[in-house]
Amino acid sequence: MGRYIARRVLQAVGTLLLVMLLLHLLTTVAIQLNGNPAQAFFGDKVASPTQLAAVEQRFNLDDPCFDQVGNPCLGPFVERLGQYARGDFGTNLRGREVSDIVAAAAPNTLRLFCVVLITWLALGMVLGSVAARRRGSTGDHGIRLTSVLIDAFPVFVLLIVYRYVVAVPLHRWAEETFGEDSWPPYWFKPSFDADHPWATVVVPGILLGLAGSAAFIRLVRAGQLEAYQGDHVRAARSKGLAERHVVVHHVVRNSSVPVVTAVGLTFAEALGGAVITEGLMNIYGMGGVLWEAVRNDDVGLVLGIVTLLAAVTVVVMIVVDIAYAVLDPRIRYD
Amino acid sequence: MAQITTRITATAGVAAVALTLASCSPSDTEGGGDDGPVTLETWISQDMETLFPGDAGSYDNISVLDVVYDGLVRYDPETTEPYNYVAESIEPDEENTVWTITIKPDLEFQNGEPVDAEAFARSWNYTADGDNGLYSNYFFGIIEGYDEMQPTTDDEGNITAEGATDELSGLEILDPLTLQVTLTSPFAGFATMLGYTGFFPVAQECLDDVEACATQPIGNGPFQVTEWQQSQELTAERWDGYTLDETPDYDAIHWTEYATGETSSWADFKAGDLDLSFPPTAEVESARNDPELAERYVERPGAALTYLGFSGYTDGPWNDIEFRKAISMAIDREGIISSLGSGQATPADSWVVPGGVPGGEAGTCEWCVFDPEAARDALERAGGWPEGEKLQISLGDDDAEVEYFTAIGNSVEEVLGIPYELNIDPDFFTTRAEQGYDGMFRNNWFPDYPLNENYLSFYASGEPGAGHWGWYSEEFEAKLDEAAAAPSLDESVALYQEAEAILAEEFPTIPFRWGFSSTYYSERLDNVILNPFSGAPILREIEVSVG
Repeated sequence: MGRYIARRVLQAVGTLLLVMLLLHLLTTVAIQLNGNPAQAFFGDKVASPTQLAAVEQRFNLDDPCFDQVGNPCLGPFVERLGQYARGDFGTNLRGREVSDIVAAAAPNTLRLFCVVLITWLALGMVLGSVAARRRGSTGDHGIRLTSVLIDAFPVFVLLIVYRYVVAVPLHRWAEETFGEDSWPPYWFKPSFDADHPWATVVVPGILLGLAGSAAFIRLVRAGQLEAYQGDHVRAARSKGLAERHVVVHHVVRNSSVPVVTAVGLTFAEALGGAVITEGLMNIYGMGGVLWEAVRNDDVGLVLGIVTLLAAVTVVVMIVVDIAYAVLDPRIRYD
Repeated sequence: MAQITTRITATAGVAAVALTLASCSPSDTEGGGDDGPVTLETWISQDMETLFPGDAGSYDNISVLDVVYDGLVRYDPETTEPYNYVAESIEPDEENTVWTITIKPDLEFQNGEPVDAEAFARSWNYTADGDNGLYSNYFFGIIEGYDEMQPTTDDEGNITAEGATDELSGLEILDPLTLQVTLTSPFAGFATMLGYTGFFPVAQECLDDVEACATQPIGNGPFQVTEWQQSQELTAERWDGYTLDETPDYDAIHWTEYATGETSSWADFKAGDLDLSFPPTAEVESARNDPELAERYVERPGAALTYLGFSGYTDGPWNDIEFRKAISMAIDREGIISSLGSGQATPADSWVVPGGVPGGEAGTCEWCVFDPEAARDALERAGGWPEGEKLQISLGDDDAEVEYFTAIGNSVEEVLGIPYELNIDPDFFTTRAEQGYDGMFRNNWFPDYPLNENYLSFYASGEPGAGHWGWYSEEFEAKLDEAAAAPSLDESVALYQEAEAILAEEFPTIPFRWGFSSTYYSERLDNVILNPFSGAPILREIEVSVG
């Protein structure tokens, strides 16, 4: 197990470096083709060449390679890697520390993901299990139809309708019913509130989770249906084990492996959903920050954040692999 | 048994969490109660990066700094005329070149440092120092010694040497409360500039750690920034040590930061969590039809001009003034503006905002009327449009602007039969500064201080072929110089109007629309006045009722 993890970590570091280099090259080409982001600092003002040069220097864009199309700008890249190795993630285009930005944005995204994950698992396990257990019943058909509907309903529509149509009256109602100094008004606040991050992230998280839950419902249903017909379940039943025991230990547990895989895979996809959710609900999170950074050719910020995200994704993948071994005794990494 | 116990424990745990969530009250920092501090709840955009006066150039940090700092002058909310505020007096010499500024005695920063001549001199020197690369640097170009403070660059734009000095030779501290400023050339409007953010004083403690001061400003205004969770929220509380009189009655201001600016704050406004907001386009109509909301609405034409320019540096029909007239008269400004962007704009027929700043008058642009017949005649005089070519209209990546410019293109195509293509360029500003366009493109001007000069001086490119439009007029630039040297501000303003007339005559650019500011406000607010200049609600004037 130890050797397996070490090998995976080494692979991960290699992947990470490759991702960083690729991103560096892409953003560098963007700067070379589009012109220097320092100009955007002045907007409609006509900046003199001296002012531009001073701003370039201030924001570390003064390396001449940024003006030469096709130059891979490896110098600044190596310099940046050195900084990262020393734990210094540099600054964004306006001199704000990337680590400060991440420290402010990441917890909000993590809160969102936490709610999303719970929603996925809760909905997936409950509805999927019910559908599998009562296969062919009205309930099963209803759940399958619901999962198709969920898939067909884009998350941003769900969020816009919630924010502009449902949240305002709910929030007002909660304020009148429970008082301004109670929790319910915060749950239904139309925007995120940095002072009450958990309370205001619950509903957006559930909605984003709901939108992604269809795949889980179907996965769990399929996994459990297979398990119900498995030899081991028949054996367990014929041993006289209680039905509850059979379901919990032999059906649910066995059907968890694909679910865990899907959590790992969907994690990266959820970041895309997070960009929309964060944008609409005004949550200051990683998705929104990355979106803006790419729009502004903010090389330092894009690289800093993607590096961190890639690192997290790799860690999640490793955790998923380890979870396999825990869930399925047949899987061993020796 | 063990399983049952586990289940009971789990159920009890869930119940406990649910009860905790439902019963215990959140710590409400927003002053919702009757006895707590009265807080004004408003919004800013999320991309505000700094609160250092010399580096603040956006709507957001300018409106925050307006309550955190006091300038030498402030502007009348109705007429935008400047009046002395921190300054006791501001007197020019006969040539408008040497200005003597006397500062009111006994004023202090929020950290106890004195607000004196030194405080202004240190702030201006720091911002004027080109090596610091600050946004408002260019304002100080009119003060003697500016050039020596700028770095030198080679032909490729790389810095080869830092500026020779760190101090403006044109600043002299005559005594602790008197600052003498020598300008490089006469400028009658100098006092008008002094209320701009870039001219605010800074404390020595602020310069000792500029980075800290950029997030925790040490101001001299009525409010003190107490907490800034950057990109999320900002709180400023009333400063007890404030001695001047322009301060509102409420106790604190809380700004929530929104990723997409004002319109995304609308849902919070409707939910009763914000005091000021404006709806997104889709909801404008329903807000307008709500009789209750209509009573809590203010609007006023803004001072920002959106206009069209041409690439005078490339060959094309646009180098003929008749062609430019044709385009201008082919644009149905009224029609486009009333049908798009919820009508939140005013058609422009001048280069200086009428009524918004001294010297601004409507109708200075003779060819800014929609006249298809005259437009076609003008196009004929210009020799027509080359067969098979498309007029390129370039602009930045902004959905609302794309709608406007599509409408402009359609209007031109319909009237003149000139086919067009939109060139949406994410790096619009850079391309435009590098003279990278071929055809027509968008321009926008948001003035820095209320004087007609500010709408005109950037047309002075210094030589033929330079500037955004490759336009140069010796006569125009001579008129600007003459206006700057006028013996009084009034005469100066009149001469700048003559300069605008030259612009109208030569017609290098086509005015399209003026911005439009409006806001809805909550039931507890009163006296909401929009700044005629920036369009922002003047926070110092607002009254918040309690209860």
